[in-house]
Amino acid sequence: MAEIQSSTLRNGVRLEGVRKRYGQGDTAVDALKGVDMSVSPGEVVGLIGPSGSGKSTLLKCLGAVIEPTAGRMTVGEDTIYDDGWKIKDLRALRRDKIGFVFQAPYLIPFLDVLDNVALMPMLAGVPNAEARKRAMEMLQALDVSHRARGMPSQLSGGEQQRVAIARALVNRPPVILADEPTAPLDSERALSVIRILNQMALQFHTAIIVVTHDEKIIPTFRRIYHIRDGKTHEEAGEGREIA
Amino acid sequence: MMQSLGGKGRKIVLAGVLLVLLALLAYVVLRSGPLAPVGVTVAEVKKQTVAPALFGIGTVEARAIHKIGPTAPGRLLRVEVQVGDTVKAGELLAEMEPLDLESRQRAQAAAVQRSRANVQSAEAQVQEVAVRKAYAQTQAKRYEQLLAAQSTSEELLALKQQEAQAMSASASAAQANLEAARQELQRLQHEQEALAQQRSNLRLVSPVSGRVIQRSADAGTTMVAGQAVVEIVEEGALWVHARFDQQRAQGLKAGLAAQVALRSLGGAPVAGQVVRVEPRADAVTEEVLAKVEFKTEKLPSIGELAEVTVALPAQQERPVVGSASLQRVGGQLGVWVVEEGGHRFAPVVPGVSDLDGRTQILEGLQGGETVVLYSEKALDSGSRIHVVERLVKPAAGTAK
Amino acid sequence: MISLAGKDILHSWGKFILTGVGLGLLIGVTLTMAGVYRGMVDDAKVLLDNSGADLWVVQQDTQGPYAESSSLYDDTYRSVQGTEGVARVANVTYLTMQVRRVSAAGALTGREVRAMVVGVSPEGPGAPGYPRFLIDGRHISRSHYEAVADIASGFALGDRIKIRRNIYTVVGLTRRMVSSGGDPMVFIPIKDAQQAQFLKDNDAIVHQRERTAQNPMVNRPGTPGVLDAVIAIQGSNPYVNAVLVQLEPQADPQAVAETLRRWKRLSVYTRLQMEDILIAKLIATSARQIGMFLVILAVVSAAIVAFIIYTLTMGKIREIAVLKLIGTKNTTIASMILQQAIGLGLIGFAVGKIASTFWAPFFPKYVLLIPEDSLRGLVAVVVICVLASILAIRAALKVDPAEAIGG
Repeated sequence: MAEIQSSTLRNGVRLEGVRKRYGQGDTAVDALKGVDMSVSPGEVVGLIGPSGSGKSTLLKCLGAVIEPTAGRMTVGEDTIYDDGWKIKDLRALRRDKIGFVFQAPYLIPFLDVLDNVALMPMLAGVPNAEARKRAMEMLQALDVSHRARGMPSQLSGGEQQRVAIARALVNRPPVILADEPTAPLDSERALSVIRILNQMALQFHTAIIVVTHDEKIIPTFRRIYHIRDGKTHEEAGEGREIA
Repeated sequence: MMQSLGGKGRKIVLAGVLLVLLALLAYVVLRSGPLAPVGVTVAEVKKQTVAPALFGIGTVEARAIHKIGPTAPGRLLRVEVQVGDTVKAGELLAEMEPLDLESRQRAQAAAVQRSRANVQSAEAQVQEVAVRKAYAQTQAKRYEQLLAAQSTSEELLALKQQEAQAMSASASAAQANLEAARQELQRLQHEQEALAQQRSNLRLVSPVSGRVIQRSADAGTTMVAGQAVVEIVEEGALWVHARFDQQRAQGLKAGLAAQVALRSLGGAPVAGQVVRVEPRADAVTEEVLAKVEFKTEKLPSIGELAEVTVALPAQQERPVVGSASLQRVGGQLGVWVVEEGGHRFAPVVPGVSDLDGRTQILEGLQGGETVVLYSEKALDSGSRIHVVERLVKPAAGTAK
Repeated sequence: MISLAGKDILHSWGKFILTGVGLGLLIGVTLTMAGVYRGMVDDAKVLLDNSGADLWVVQQDTQGPYAESSSLYDDTYRSVQGTEGVARVANVTYLTMQVRRVSAAGALTGREVRAMVVGVSPEGPGAPGYPRFLIDGRHISRSHYEAVADIASGFALGDRIKIRRNIYTVVGLTRRMVSSGGDPMVFIPIKDAQQAQFLKDNDAIVHQRERTAQNPMVNRPGTPGVLDAVIAIQGSNPYVNAVLVQLEPQADPQAVAETLRRWKRLSVYTRLQMEDILIAKLIATSARQIGMFLVILAVVSAAIVAFIIYTLTMGKIREIAVLKLIGTKNTTIASMILQQAIGLGLIGFAVGKIASTFWAPFFPKYVLLIPEDSLRGLVAVVVICVLASILAIRAALKVDPAEAIGG
């Protein structure tokens, strides 16, 4: 673990001085007031903060869903933002470089499990057969391949979440943003999800940022970013082992 | 819904539904609307005879209606008969009031009597004059003898001769008078006879044995000359005055057998015969008129409507089509002949037809062709046809 | 790339098909209404076609015999026949009245049918006024008491029907012989038809005779036959409604019509003029009535189609947001919506066309569904679906993928 931590951040995520201002003039609100973050590949860090602290704003900036006001963002090898978007096709960015995991699995209900995952490489232009092959590999990695031909509504909540994670991972993005992935789950399942995330991070060299306030999983993080009033500060986490 | 079937099963079901939909759509587009073929039924043209018949309607009439009435104006004294009475020939039906006729007859009788008296007196006068004439002639002769004996004068002889001549003349005059009186008597007697005839004319008698069908006036009515009081019809002498359309009445002549259907007999036909075809047709209604006699037990009423079917002689064998096959296309009358490659219009010249619509074809068909009988639409050379058994479902309960 | 539209349809195929059927019935109703309109116009055209005439000769200064009443003496046809260019003429009478079936005993049975009773001259098939084709039976062969009926009247071969005073036997059946109002036609011999039209009922005749008998001018004692003669004249029916004329093949209808107008003091109409009278004057109001309803129906149908497609799309808004978030192209999303909309429209059109074809024969009046209208309907449905999907696509594309990420 330590070796990885100290390696260069070439394929991780880095934010420097990221600001986000909503509105103009007197009614302007600064949601982010200069955020610095860095996550290495293979690392799973927590992002913790009360509501209104700007954590979803930060996630949206990182996810290239909204545009920051100032700062610098690097994903993998690409600087995606440096006081202005440096990438033309944000959609392709999201498709190829950033994976999303949400509270709810948000699977497409009319596609079967395999196609839900295979959709990602297909969107990137990969031929259907190859895309399905990659999707199957990912499902196997997440131990839900036996459900490949089922419809999402036939799976349990935990299985659905694992499929969602598979979908986030299948294009091997450098970063995965997870927004409260364990909120609806009990402690056993929550820890199971975190364990999977850690496994996947290592297996696929992915940097994973987990936004959460779930007490059950916070102790598992080695590093934690606290965010308050638009500023972050880093803290060492407990790093508890997951059984 | 179909989760249990899985993706493949679902695909099959959906494909099935869509296929059915497409098939129905294709069926609908091709089989209905202007793209659809026209259903027709066909019939074979056979060589047959037809027994044409003429159909006409008419009214039952009496062969002769005798309208009995006075020959001179007068007043009706009494009517002896009622409608429906049977009368014999010569029976008294009614009588007119004699009015002044009796007085005139009496006057006339008196005149005759007087005339007879005149004749008698004329005869007496003739006798008297004859006697005097004889005397005068005798005297003349005597005086001639006397003159010869020179017992008298020539003047006296001349006087006696003159008297004799005068008497002779008187005798002629008296004779003439008698003649005149006799003629006068005859004349008055003839007039008397005339009055008697007039008197007998006041008695209206039946000229034939028969039935009274109308009584037009009652006692006391003033009548004019020629006005009928009673109408008599000979018993059983009825016939149908029938009317036939001029255009279809060729071949109608006396002697043809006919079926007469009377309304009072419920329309059941009775046998009859055409008695004559009226020489004068009806120019306004364009009908030929004919009289058709018939025999029934129960006599119908006069004026009742009757339907007459006259059988015309059967024609020789010729190709026959049903009347429904005849159509007019482009101004020509003809039939649609169905052949291998399709159908074509064949102009024909039709001949006679019978009352069931079977029409003989004089020109245009040989026999053995298949022609269109019924069709759903008017055909033209560009239509697509489609032969079926029937176009109309048979009505429930009837087997026409 | 898989077909998102296809997968979605496959997944909720029942809802899709049912929506298509519902849409289809609405489209079917609109197509049928167009058919009703066309049927009305066709009724008028068919009336003119079926009479087999090139010219209509009617009472002077009337627009009869269909739009107005017209009365001619029945010997007028003789002078028309002699005119140059005229091939065949026939007297004809038209009267719309109630006709009823009777049993063998003469009792009235069944319901009354409103029919146009046509009196045809006895020349036979091919003459003007005769039905041009039959679907069963034969043409009239007797000069009285036979009838050929249109099948829309409900009569069958062999039925006995009562028209005014007389009972007629149905000897032939025909189809699509209707008046401009859609009433079925019944053809009877013209002499019977003249009597039906012009001879009054028994009570009226008796009263007329009594009134005539009281008239001292005709009921003088010195002239015994005059009263009977006058009553006989009153009972005769020498009128017809029109004379139908068929022209020689090379004759000019306008020229012959003009000759007849000028020299015979009659009103004469060519086929085009009759069409104008019937369509522009007789059915114009009804046609406009239906036309307006058709327009409203079409607009309402369009709105409902648009609404349905919009709602279908909006129901998928969460999936659309997720798709956008995970990197689906806008065009892919737009094409999914468009494909579904057009697919729905095509299914709806197919259902509508099939339904309207199957239920059209049950309408009491003629419904004419022509391919041009179906094609127009198809184009309209597709266009509306496309426009509706555009609205939905705009809404879909405006969706902020950020909403997928909670606040």
